[in-house]
Amino acid sequence: MEFSALFLAVTVVMVVAWWGTRTLALALFAATLLASIATYLHHASDVLKLSF
Amino acid sequence: MTRSLALTLNALGLYAVALVLVIAFAAQLLLNELPCPLCLLQRIQFAMLAVGPILNLRFGPRPSYYAVSLFTAIAGAAFATRQILLHIMPGDLGYGSALLGYHYYTWAFIGFAVAIIALAAMLLFDEQFRDDGKPQPAGAFARAAVWLVIALTALNVVSTLLECGFGACPDNPVAYELLKRAP
Repeated sequence: MEFSALFLAVTVVMVVAWWGTRTLALALFAATLLASIATYLHHASDVLKLSF
Repeated sequence: MTRSLALTLNALGLYAVALVLVIAFAAQLLLNELPCPLCLLQRIQFAMLAVGPILNLRFGPRPSYYAVSLFTAIAGAAFATRQILLHIMPGDLGYGSALLGYHYYTWAFIGFAVAIIALAAMLLFDEQFRDDGKPQPAGAFARAAVWLVIALTALNVVSTLLECGFGACPDNPVAYELLKRAP
C-alpha cells in the first residue's frame, strides 16, 4: 500500500512540476523523497533471515 | 553547451527514465517477475529522477533542478547497494533472474551511478544557465517525453496496488494480491 502511495505521490510531483508552481513542486518532491527514505529505513530495520 | 542543447538532453534523459520503467514492466508482465519491496523502492527512485528534467524543461535549466535528480540518484544507489549486499554471500543465488549476468538491482545500481555521473557532467556547462530573457516553450519531443514518463509512473500506481493490495507488500511476492480469488 505504501508503495502505491509513493508512486501516486511521484505522479503528483511530476504533474505539479509540469503544470503548477516551482515552489510547490520542490516542496512535494522533498516530502516524497523523505517518505521514500523513511519507507526504506522501515524495511531496512527488518530482521534479516541469513543462514550463517 | 547552449540552453537549447541542454533542454534536448533533458528530454532524452526523460526517455531514458521511460525506457527503464518499460523494461521493469516487461520483466514484471512478460517474465512474471513481481518486484519485491526494495525493487519497488528502486523503481520509485528511477521515476523520481524525472522530476529534475521536467522542471528544467518547464522553467529553464537551473543547478537546483539538477540537484533534485542528484539527491534521487544517490538515494536510489543506496537502496540498490542494500539489495546487492543482502545477496553478497557466496552461494546466494540472488533475487529474481539475471539479465546479461547481473540481477536487476545490480543494473539499478549501475543505472543510478551513470545518472550521477551524467548529472555532474551537465552541471559543468554554465552557458545553459544564462537566461537570455526569451521564453523557450517545450517542443513536441519534450512534451511527449514528459507525458510518457507521467503515464508510466501512473501505471505503476495501478500495478503496485494490484500486486500489494491494501496491506503490506510481501517480501517475496509471487501473485497479485488483488487478483487472488477468494477460497
